[in-house]
Amino acid sequence: MARTLDTKGLKCPQPILKIAILAKQIDEGELLEVKADCPSFPADIKAWCERTGKILLVCADDGTGSFSAQIQF
Amino acid sequence: MGKVAFVVNGSENSNIYPPFILGASAAAAGDQVIYFFTPGATQLMKPGVLEGITGKGLPPLAELLDGLKSLGARMILCELALDAKGVTVADLRDDIEIAGATSFMAEISDATNTFSF
Repeated sequence: MARTLDTKGLKCPQPILKIAILAKQIDEGELLEVKADCPSFPADIKAWCERTGKILLVCADDGTGSFSAQIQF
Repeated sequence: MGKVAFVVNGSENSNIYPPFILGASAAAAGDQVIYFFTPGATQLMKPGVLEGITGKGLPPLAELLDGLKSLGARMILCELALDAKGVTVADLRDDIEIAGATSFMAEISDATNTFSF
């Protein structure tokens, strides 16, 4: 069962900041699902995953400005 | 990961929001983040001032501060600020360090990025 984090309503850089804080409790191999509606989230989560060595499995846009990303730690 | 240093020169929103937003992003990606507040930014170092700052369309500064602190960011006030602004350590937040320019410059000699606001 993947962990989930809802950052809807939060603006850059808060979603990434919350992910980074939560990341301290997440073991390698675990999945985290993040919901966000900050317009820069798709680019930001991609950059964060690249810098921190995480795998961005998917960042889906539901068509209304909401995003759902799955990150493998 | 890198080390990012920010110098904060004043107490307006334009002095503190950019370094806190950029610093929060850097700290989130694993960079070590250090702030150096010059005497012009002394007002920001009084208890509760940072927590009360908001800006239209911007995240509350208190939330950025919480995140920065939990990711190990450090805040240093230039020791010249004490005499220059007539304040004592008792007038200031207890989560900051007081240090001189020489210490700060030594501290950031291996910084990968430096910014001044």
